[in-house]
Amino acid sequence: MYFIEFAECCKRLEKIRSRLAMVEVLAETLLTLQEIELPVFIRFIMGRIFPDWSPKKIGIGPNLLFEGLAYVIGKQKETVIEALNSKGDIGTAVEELVSMKEQTSFFSEQLTLLEVYAAMEKIASIDGKGSQREKNLLIRRFFGASSPLEARYLARLLLEDLRIGVGEGTIRDAIAKVFDLPVSVLDHAIQVTNDIGEVAFLALKDPNSLNSVKITLFHPVRMMLAQAGDIATGIHDHGKISAEYKYDGSRFQFHRKGKSCRVYSRKLEDITSSVPDVTEMLMSVTSRDIILDGEVIAVKDGRPLPFQTVLRRVRRKNEVEAIKDSIELTPLVFDILYLEGNDLISLTYGERREILLKEVKKYVAPNIISDDPAEIERYYMNGLDQGHEGIMLKVLSSQYTPGVRGKSWLKIKPHVDTLDLVVTGADWGEGKRAHVFGSFHLACRDNDYLIPISKVATGFSDEELALLYDVLKDIVVSTKGKSVILEPNLVFEIGYSEIQKSPNYSGGYALRFPRFISVRPDKSIDDIDTIETILDRYDFQEQHRTGSNQ
Amino acid sequence: MMLKAIIDADILRETIEAIAALVSECRLHIENDGFSMLAVDTANVAMVKAVLQKTAFQSYEAESCEIGVDITKLRNILGTPGKTDQVKIELDETRHKLELSFMGYKYSVALLDTNTIRKEPNEPNIELPAKIIVPGMELNNAIKASMLISDKIALGVDTQEKNGPFFFMHADGDTDQINKTFGPTEVQFVNPVDSRSLFSIDYLKDMGKIFGKSASVEVHLGTDHPVKFIFDMSNGNAHFIYLLAPRIEAD
Repeated sequence: MYFIEFAECCKRLEKIRSRLAMVEVLAETLLTLQEIELPVFIRFIMGRIFPDWSPKKIGIGPNLLFEGLAYVIGKQKETVIEALNSKGDIGTAVEELVSMKEQTSFFSEQLTLLEVYAAMEKIASIDGKGSQREKNLLIRRFFGASSPLEARYLARLLLEDLRIGVGEGTIRDAIAKVFDLPVSVLDHAIQVTNDIGEVAFLALKDPNSLNSVKITLFHPVRMMLAQAGDIATGIHDHGKISAEYKYDGSRFQFHRKGKSCRVYSRKLEDITSSVPDVTEMLMSVTSRDIILDGEVIAVKDGRPLPFQTVLRRVRRKNEVEAIKDSIELTPLVFDILYLEGNDLISLTYGERREILLKEVKKYVAPNIISDDPAEIERYYMNGLDQGHEGIMLKVLSSQYTPGVRGKSWLKIKPHVDTLDLVVTGADWGEGKRAHVFGSFHLACRDNDYLIPISKVATGFSDEELALLYDVLKDIVVSTKGKSVILEPNLVFEIGYSEIQKSPNYSGGYALRFPRFISVRPDKSIDDIDTIETILDRYDFQEQHRTGSNQ
Repeated sequence: MMLKAIIDADILRETIEAIAALVSECRLHIENDGFSMLAVDTANVAMVKAVLQKTAFQSYEAESCEIGVDITKLRNILGTPGKTDQVKIELDETRHKLELSFMGYKYSVALLDTNTIRKEPNEPNIELPAKIIVPGMELNNAIKASMLISDKIALGVDTQEKNGPFFFMHADGDTDQINKTFGPTEVQFVNPVDSRSLFSIDYLKDMGKIFGKSASVEVHLGTDHPVKFIFDMSNGNAHFIYLLAPRIEAD
């Protein structure tokens, strides 16, 4: 497949609103692909470059992209940024600019899908000095060789944000349609492999093998997630249920094979080198090939320290040894997904728990099993007293469903109105805060789009503002007066008193009395709250208000 | 696949640096009369051709083969030995490594799979009518001077001026300009033909650092055409060609 054909497919899809029609177009396109193109196409069409389990990163942000493009068209980077500001979308801005190409090249290349992928893979493998230069050259090559339409989608693909609305469900349905396979089989295979491209490849090559795909060590699977719930409903729906403390720490997945092991974060980043002490503790509890799921917490004098403390360790890349002794970490293991070549995720929680207790001698998170609301309530209060966030209720008969936020796990914690929002811009501070950013523009998500929802200027200490400036100054995309536009990377947890309708924000809603709670470096832009959540909360709040007035 | 050779560190280093100015990896041809390579940079904008003759080596014994070389890595390794140290080069075919020994060190450097390296380009067959020979250092100095003003530079030959012909470099910044002309007393006009092309300083500066060390550089130019720099180093035992695609300004 030529990249231009991919771009044309994207263009068709971008115009379609109906999911069914999208599935049609995708199914039609899948049939035209060669075997080896299939996984690449599937990832690309979702705006992903590498499989989800892969630690590979392309590492190209808007700044680098603008520099490369500016070179090709012989303009200053600022010209590119102005075009972006007026268009509001990188893809269409690049599409327009690339027709002004000034740099000639020795060959007129007709890029293919596989060449684009091979070049990206190569770039991801280069690190250290010279890698920025190579990335810049690659961008020049891509834009040098591409037509305006190709450039639109190349730009978005390089930033892994294709904006055509093809999510995992849509492409899965297209695979199901083309290869005539049940969605449930595909879902299971996707959860286990964490690689929908590979699943499509298998669907073509050997569909029967999809039933027997297994978790692969060192290919982390997505973490199973919990919904908010309450004790009474949990017991009413399921009877006897397991309750564990909800730890205010950092989620991890531990993989061990023989003498090697890796620790992955919630975002499936490899954090092994940041937590050598935790790695050592986990290595000591078993000698079997294993995958464990748990939470790392920081403790001092027997009490857990807040989550931020854990992150100072988990995010640390340098001088790990120096900080290791000052922040003591301990893992709490609450699930087991794999043991000695066997997948355990299809077993029930109860069965897995039994195996866990047998295989792992230490660091297993305690639990109780009960159908007595009063007993679980006491356990909950006890957890809060001990400094934990609350409790998790887990249905004994439930399977482990990677990446699914289902009803089998319920989180019970005191009601706090917070939202996770991404920082999209900032305003310079005033007075003594004139050298740092003083307020921040926040957005929630609506599928592939970011919807501005609030600004936040309170809740920060001077130290926090200085730290934030330090982090954010390198991801400034453009400056306009006293405001800057930032690469949307950093996630804030924001408290608020209520959600209001607002004509000032394009989403139609705004937060009242927003205040900064914390930075959530463990969360990515995909994890932020959606406009639906905000609408739900608004509706809930309004019903509640009406109710209380009556 | 066989290679056993000894060479002055300085000669090998100069050659590798000249290649490293444009590419980070390449397919290196080992022949019985020396090494050669041709590669295009990642962006398809610049090309480098290098030939290191057998006469550059103290001793040289080889069978023809093609190997994939991480040029950046070699350049870093060759930062260690002194000017007069000798480097022993051997190919370990079974382990797929290039062995470099000097000063008691022995580096075994993994070869790259040639299939993962971009195909060698065809050398473009283009007629560049204007030919001038310029002292390398002068050319490099003029490029460095232009960097202060702009990120592109026009190179050309003007035969119309009296007291000419002239070889000129001209750079336009947003507000500033720079002009440098070389007359018949400073450069040798092999074939003075009117010509003018615009190039990116981003590449010229990296090329200039290398050919700046060469006593003379043959420059071939046309109008809105690539530029070719031909130069020797290591007493004529190492021969290089740089080619750079022009920028064409929209009117």
